[in-house]
Amino acid sequence: MGVAALCTENLSKRYGRLLALDDLTLDVAPGEVFGFLGPNGAGKSTTIRLLLGLARPTSGRAWVFGGDAADVAAAHRRLAYVPADVALWPRMTGAEVLDLLGRIGPGVDTVYRDELVERFALDLAKPAGTYSTGNRQKVALVAAFATRAPLLVLDEPTSGLDPLMELEFRRAVAAARDNGQTVFLSSHQLAEVEAVCDRVGILSAGRLVEVASVAQLRRLHRTEVAATFTGAPPDLTGVPGVDGLHSNGAAAVRFTLNGPPAAALRALADAGVATIAVREPSLEEIFLAYYGQDAR
Amino acid sequence: MTAVAAPAASVTPAPAPGRALTALAVRQVRRGALTVTGICAGMSALVVSMYESQALDPAALAALARNPAIRTLFGEPVALGDPGGFAVWRTGVVLSVLLAVWSFLAATRITRGEEDAGRWGLLLSGRAALADAVRGHLGVVTVVPLVAGAATAAAMIAAGADVAGSVLHGTGLAAVGLFFVAAGGLAAQLFGDRSAANGAAAAVLVLGLLARMVGDGVPALSWVRWLSPFGLVALTRPFDTGRGLPLAVLVFAAAVLLALAVRLAARRDVGGSIVPAAGGRPARTALLGSVPAFAVRRTLRPLAGWAAGVGAYFLLIGLVARSMADFLAANPQFTAMAAQAGFTLGTVEGYAATLFALLAVPVGVFVAGRVGALAADEAARRLTLPLAAPVTRTRLLAADVAAATGAALVLVSVAGAAMWAGSALVGAGLGLGDALAGTWNVVPVVLLCLGAAVLALGWAPRAVAAAGAVPAVGGFLWLVVADSVGAPAWVGDVSPFAHLAAVPVTGPDWPAAAVMTGLAAAGVAAGLAGYRRRDLTT
Repeated sequence: MGVAALCTENLSKRYGRLLALDDLTLDVAPGEVFGFLGPNGAGKSTTIRLLLGLARPTSGRAWVFGGDAADVAAAHRRLAYVPADVALWPRMTGAEVLDLLGRIGPGVDTVYRDELVERFALDLAKPAGTYSTGNRQKVALVAAFATRAPLLVLDEPTSGLDPLMELEFRRAVAAARDNGQTVFLSSHQLAEVEAVCDRVGILSAGRLVEVASVAQLRRLHRTEVAATFTGAPPDLTGVPGVDGLHSNGAAAVRFTLNGPPAAALRALADAGVATIAVREPSLEEIFLAYYGQDAR
Repeated sequence: MTAVAAPAASVTPAPAPGRALTALAVRQVRRGALTVTGICAGMSALVVSMYESQALDPAALAALARNPAIRTLFGEPVALGDPGGFAVWRTGVVLSVLLAVWSFLAATRITRGEEDAGRWGLLLSGRAALADAVRGHLGVVTVVPLVAGAATAAAMIAAGADVAGSVLHGTGLAAVGLFFVAAGGLAAQLFGDRSAANGAAAAVLVLGLLARMVGDGVPALSWVRWLSPFGLVALTRPFDTGRGLPLAVLVFAAAVLLALAVRLAARRDVGGSIVPAAGGRPARTALLGSVPAFAVRRTLRPLAGWAAGVGAYFLLIGLVARSMADFLAANPQFTAMAAQAGFTLGTVEGYAATLFALLAVPVGVFVAGRVGALAADEAARRLTLPLAAPVTRTRLLAADVAAATGAALVLVSVAGAAMWAGSALVGAGLGLGDALAGTWNVVPVVLLCLGAAVLALGWAPRAVAAAGAVPAVGGFLWLVVADSVGAPAWVGDVSPFAHLAAVPVTGPDWPAAAVMTGLAAAGVAAGLAGYRRRDLTT
């Protein structure tokens, strides 16, 4: 694998006494769709502001395709950005904003831009001052995807979009992935992250607590198991990985499983299982599990 | 306690929303309110207490009062023999303009500005309706001119001026401020964004000022003063005949505008405006191709407004140039007095040079405002997208500084050309080259404002417009005060205005210009260094 699309090393940011980002070391490979999760105030937007040179790191460094992220004239030729909260000049129309961003930006595929305007149902003739939050976000999304930049940095890009437009957004991300573009997506929409992301990083109180693929995360986390037995249920207390044991009546148990399931399965099999249901947790459950124990 | 009452008990009973609104508005205006009140009261009292009965014979005073040029520029001099009357003539117009500008800016800032920024959505989801919020906020701002006027009157009385005249003058100041709070508040209902509202209120101010000047200068048109807030205040003639009717007219007009503003607020949506926002229109893609082009595009509209105001003022100055110079030549007493203060007023060139120095104030405020607009764009997060493009902060700032400098040069040239045109119409014989040399002479002071504004942008981004106005407005007031109190020369020398040569009477003071330009460049460099290394404000 070549040079990382996005790379940080011991990146920290301190605002007075608040350590907003603590020692973030992260690699995002080219072509990857990376989901960046965390509750409000965890440091997601701070990370993105540091990556874009909008804020200066207290310590540590960041690179975009091997170049220093602080050298924005070079680094920003290879990325496009959608902020969480899009602010535009109120008297400029959508078309004028797109024109400006296209001409000062890293380049623009005008055919694709026109297609995106169509798909996102954006009225470009109106002044930006009359746009709703969602419409301003669409302007930024169209501008970003139309650059065809190798790296897309998206900070909660769909928070103002309706479900139909969110679907269009997922299509555009999929097209970017097929195109070999890298996507760095910060989001609260866990279903969306689950649908489009290859890998996920979870941030909590300024620290990166997990980086894994969605499948790995599931494996690492509690699987819910419900089983019924032909005879008496086995005693599962003390079996490695078994947690939250409940017995539902005389011949049924329910428990959660952490880590490798071999020991628990062996215990179940010995007891004569009648039915077994194994349910993987959703990303939302995984996410809530993190912040249940490590809340801020 | 009954079970029914229990749920209510768990929620702290809130005081009336009006209280919270008032507190919010007070927080947003208190600092500026203290500053304008301090300046109004301080300057008035200073001029009163430093007044020395000058050895002017009544004939000379009568000639002064009759001269149309004097009346156009400084207002009709009434009661110059009285310390209070002299203070009114010397500071009245300046202070009423200052208070008027602050009043409408404050009114639009805390109403339309807050609404623009989206902060009223949350505010108005509570129990307060839009009209309540507008009434509450404007109500708080209206207190400020009243306080400033009362403080001015009290300070003048304490300094020894006549009580009735001081009260009338203070009331006049308060009434002008009140009128412009109302004008700003009304404009904020009519227009959907703050800059348009400010533009409309500023247009009212400039037209009012011009109407006052024309009414004072041209006897046949003296009724025009009844149409201008500044004219109405002049008609009260404090320390002289002391008329109350014009003030009643002005206060009534302010009350009508305020009531109208609240009525209109009740009729529109939050975030909406009475004048409908422009609907769809074809894209105008000129000047969008690059960062410098975009900087020029954002400068053009404000430049057009300022050029119209400054041009009209200097055209009028040019039109009265001949009458002024003739008067001064015929009354050597005044020329001698002016010469003591360092002005050569006896010729058209001397008169022009004195007025050209004033040009540094509006043009300096203009460039400070341009850098302030960049800071406002940053605070409103509008710069996030451009700065996520391959655009360095240095390039962005350089483009804006260059555009502001270019626009300032256009402004001073417009002023010079307008002055020349006005004086040519009356055959005063001021050359175009002389006029332009005179207006270009203020460029170093303008650059100082730019340097101060950029320095603030780098290190104190919330104070950009105020810091940028310091060399022009602060320097001007400083020199006036230093002259009025007879301070030692080095005190006055702190002001950049002390180092402006009387061009076109003499050549420019090149060493002083070089020092000011050097200081400005140092400010820009230090500001740029801070701007590059700091975090963006949002």
